Amino acid sequence: MEKTQTGAKPASRDGDGPANAAPQRPGLPAMLLEIPGVVPALSFAGFVALWWAGAAWNGNSIQLPTPPEVFGALVSLARDGELFTNAGLSLSRLIVSMSIAVLIAVPLGFWMGLSETLRRYVDPTIELLRPISGIAWIPLALFIFGVGGVLPVFIMTYVAFFPLVMNTFAGVRGADPKLVAAARTMGVGRLRITARVVLPSALPTIMVGVRLALAGAWSAIIAAELIGAPTGLGFAIEWYRELLASPKVFAYVGVIAGVGYLADLALQWLQRRLTPWTVGGGLS
Amino acid sequence: MQAVENAKLRLKDVTKTFIAPRTLKPTVAVSDVTLDIMRGEFVCIVGPSGCGKSTVLNMIAGLEAPSDGTIFMDDRPISGPSAERGVMFQDYALFPWLTVQDNIGFGLRNGTPGHSLSAGEIKDRIEAHIDLVRLRGSEAKYPHQLSGGMRQRVALARLLANGPDVLLMDEPLGALDAQTRLILQSELLRIWGETSPTAQRKTAIFITHDIEEAVFLADRVVVMSRHPGRVRALLDIDLPRPRNEHVRTTQRFGELSEEIWQLIRDEALEAIA
Ligand SMILES: Nc1ncnc2c1ncn2[C@@H]1O[C@H](COP(=O)(O)OP(=O)(O)OP(=O)(O)O)[C@@H](O)[C@H]1O
Ligand SMILES: [Mg+2]
Repeated sequence: MEKTQTGAKPASRDGDGPANAAPQRPGLPAMLLEIPGVVPALSFAGFVALWWAGAAWNGNSIQLPTPPEVFGALVSLARDGELFTNAGLSLSRLIVSMSIAVLIAVPLGFWMGLSETLRRYVDPTIELLRPISGIAWIPLALFIFGVGGVLPVFIMTYVAFFPLVMNTFAGVRGADPKLVAAARTMGVGRLRITARVVLPSALPTIMVGVRLALAGAWSAIIAAELIGAPTGLGFAIEWYRELLASPKVFAYVGVIAGVGYLADLALQWLQRRLTPWTVGGGLS
Repeated sequence: MQAVENAKLRLKDVTKTFIAPRTLKPTVAVSDVTLDIMRGEFVCIVGPSGCGKSTVLNMIAGLEAPSDGTIFMDDRPISGPSAERGVMFQDYALFPWLTVQDNIGFGLRNGTPGHSLSAGEIKDRIEAHIDLVRLRGSEAKYPHQLSGGMRQRVALARLLANGPDVLLMDEPLGALDAQTRLILQSELLRIWGETSPTAQRKTAIFITHDIEEAVFLADRVVVMSRHPGRVRALLDIDLPRPRNEHVRTTQRFGELSEEIWQLIRDEALEAIA
């Protein structure tokens, strides 16, 4: 009896018609891939494998240490707490500069969106400064602030400013005139329309600006701390580079990636909380 | 000039020309419309697509200024929007960041319609209008989670919850299934004040593509024609009120529908030819 069943199986596979049109049930490997996090883990594993192969082929631990060496360095840095001190310092600088940038750029961008006059006066300067990388200001900032915690905050605030101001402006300009019209026919005043229609309209675009600003600021922190700060992740990288301690340099690079990734995850969470209507939209 | 008593809205030689931004090519959307709408009157506007129905409604709402001519409400020229003239837009204009109940309550909470109401009264009104348009159970959903017909009902509920004196509705029932449509037509007549004396009724302007809907609802039907948008004919609908479903089977109902159809069929056939 069992034999006839197994014998019947290939026949139904080959058969054309409705049996073939039905969606195929995925095999076990395909089902494993559906588990969240499995594909990113595979991607990461592939990267580590390539790295390891490269390190083995290169054979020079100062140029390119192997994954276990870097992992060991990471553990030892975590153990004596130095890693958390530096990461905490860099992260708090990021938070301070993002807060300053949001407080300046979002109101400015919002106002530019509402007032064409203001936009005409401010926009040329913004467009002039925008292509200048934050790093280009480091020499000047060294004269003004000297080596210390202020310099990286200044550089990151500068970098975060542009995506915030541009996206806020675009969000306000993109507010649907139909919705503003609808509010006006309900006897809603101008201030309220700004707060209850224009602001929520612009919020999804502003949130995209916040994420871009954070990514840009975090990329700039390394250069800023490398040259201009006596502490932080960038400083630590430079410190261990001078000591030729490549595994620790790489460990810190990994921490930068990890902290940046987690900060963006936090912003994505905030985005879902602040703009729930943008989640799971259909086509219509 | 003959003074019209009790005219709530007066359109005098109203023309609207749109100028294309780049080519500066003018489009005459509405040409020389003169029309008086009485206090407490229910007027339906029918006409082929693109004949300027929405443009007329937007001008009455005060959202667009006529290029020529004037629109008066209570003998004063309309210079901008006001909550006395509530609008239901053809594409609903729901706030995507607000749930169904918050959309319905938007004007009550932020605009003049809610000024004399307490928080509790506002809440009651919202609840009543959720029930009116049969959206109980969906009140916490966002517009993008609703079907087209549900969105349309939210827009209608939002308009009615604000309790405007003049109702301006642009195809308010067009996306609904036949049964819901019939139910809401009757509800609309009730809210408009069909069973009250004329003096207590609201003034309603209702755009539709459905001739029988127009005949069922209206005191008067405005038939518009295209190129440019003009008033082609005005028909008095002399069916007795209050109207119920039975009126649809009467001979007079059929005659009036036929008459309107004759007026727009040439253009309708031309449009698809
Ligand atoms: N903002 C605008 N700019 C330029 N042209 C416009 C504008 N709004 C409307 N029009 C033109 O005016 C004419 C009338 O448009 P309107 O929207 O009033 O038509 P409608 O009768 O409401 O049509 P439908 O039944 O399809 O809704 C059309 O030719 C349209 O192209
Ligand atoms: Mg229209």
